[in-house]
Amino acid sequence: MRAIVAIASTTVGEAIRRKVLLIILLIGLLFLSIAPGLGGLSPRQETTVLTSMMLGILQLTSAVIAIVLTVYLIPTEIERRTIYTILSKPVQRWQFLVGKYVGAILALGLMMLLMSGVLLLTYYLLQRDVSRLGEIAKAPLFYFVQMSLLAAVAVFFSTFVSPLVNFFLSGGLYFIGSMLNTIYDTFANSPTTNPAVKAVASVINVIVPNFANYNIQNPIINPGQQIQNPTAYALFTTAYGVFYILILLIGAILIFDKREV
Amino acid sequence: MAAAIETKKLTKTYKSRSLGAVNVVDELDLHVEEGEIFGFLGPNGAGKTTTIKMLLSIIYPTSGEGWVLGREIGDMEVHKVISYLPERPYYYEYMTGLELLMFYSSLFGMKDVERCKKLLERVNLAGDASKTISQYSKGMQQRIGLAQSLLNDPKLLFLDEPTGGLDPIAHTEIRDLILQFRDEGRTVFISSHELSEVERICDRVAIINRGKIVRQGKLSELLHGGRFEVIAENLDRSFEDTVKIPDAIVSYANGRLIVDMPEGEDLNALIDSIRSAKGTIVSVIPRRKRLEDLFVQTVRDTNQGAAR
Repeated sequence: MRAIVAIASTTVGEAIRRKVLLIILLIGLLFLSIAPGLGGLSPRQETTVLTSMMLGILQLTSAVIAIVLTVYLIPTEIERRTIYTILSKPVQRWQFLVGKYVGAILALGLMMLLMSGVLLLTYYLLQRDVSRLGEIAKAPLFYFVQMSLLAAVAVFFSTFVSPLVNFFLSGGLYFIGSMLNTIYDTFANSPTTNPAVKAVASVINVIVPNFANYNIQNPIINPGQQIQNPTAYALFTTAYGVFYILILLIGAILIFDKREV
Repeated sequence: MAAAIETKKLTKTYKSRSLGAVNVVDELDLHVEEGEIFGFLGPNGAGKTTTIKMLLSIIYPTSGEGWVLGREIGDMEVHKVISYLPERPYYYEYMTGLELLMFYSSLFGMKDVERCKKLLERVNLAGDASKTISQYSKGMQQRIGLAQSLLNDPKLLFLDEPTGGLDPIAHTEIRDLILQFRDEGRTVFISSHELSEVERICDRVAIINRGKIVRQGKLSELLHGGRFEVIAENLDRSFEDTVKIPDAIVSYANGRLIVDMPEGEDLNALIDSIRSAKGTIVSVIPRRKRLEDLFVQTVRDTNQGAAR
């Protein structure tokens, strides 16, 4: 356990010093700060559009950070040969991989926390309304699970593909996963769809993690759309995410265990 | 003496699209005894680092067997008592020297600040403990690397090019540390190109070329030249003609007789005859090959053999 904690803490230390991540974070923070500058909206529109836009910025920035952070997680250690000194110690490969993943999501969590703070502060300064802050704060929590899942996808791919390929694979999977409900409804539930296409859509629906589960901005923005049982939904989506994360990490460990480094 | 490292037909094969299957390490039989400094020599691409990586189970052998301190390679228990300093190591640059050692010690489940400080003292970095690794020179980084390799008080150290690219002072410091390791009873396995360094500190060496061990043995035996040089003075020039030793080269210069001869019983006879002639023996020097010559000749021979 101590080895995992040590590896995780160095991963956080490295991540918060990586210039490319800090630049992405700064861009995200900048956009969150200037979002209210958009004029020409009615007070009702302002609340809706502003919240939607700021949550969108937070989500997009977090996704880019999650992918950029994790695609280089393992290859950099191999390229710089830091992995050799670590694996020559009594450290199992699974401990190394889990430590790197935990460190990555901790660093990601810290960056998301900072962005969420700026988002809530900006919203408060503009709207002077404390009553909705709690509701808005739920979205980053869902996004954090979503990004942890995305990070697990990227860690999985990083055990056998190059960072560039991984960037597009993970990004592509995130895009498909975010559209999964729409794709599934279009193909699988339509009576005119070819059975073979329906079967493929069903398989994709099972294999690809459903990132759309965590996009809860609509119920937050639009009081007309409510989640029936928020606690049950939160528990279900978290358990769903953790399940997929475990599957992906186990897959990554099995591949990494056989890999020549 | 027990074997610190033993391999039997250890092989690593890589598949390449252009070359097909290539044995980077080919049926390697290696024997390293406990408590010795063992030099593992070979030209670039000979298979040195691949062998070390297999022994550390960083990569897996295609076939063959190997044991490190009596345990099969891959046994994680042995990693508690061995250590590794890779070639041109990189350390987390934002950490200070002390933080780096604390990080590596936590991989052993330890959190002993005092031990880390003592190790920093041992490698002459006590005064630089609070500097970040990015502020360390190459020599300092190599010394912190040696300090991290001593954290677990290892019985066996793998050092891959420990003096590569260092200035002469850093060279000497690292060499002294390695000699201290042997005095402490540790086994040191050094992969190196620095042949003069190896010649100074190693007890035994193996030369690997094209993945195969082509020479292995005690350095004193491998470098044994089998010839002596005898220098004597206060002798008449005519004494030169009395020396009738087969395969000997006899010369007379500046009033000195110089005999370069094969070792054997003739040596005593020559010394006796010089004394009888009232000559003075200036020196009797056993001729020793240089490791560099042995290495170059061995590699050349095997390359020519492979080309035929």
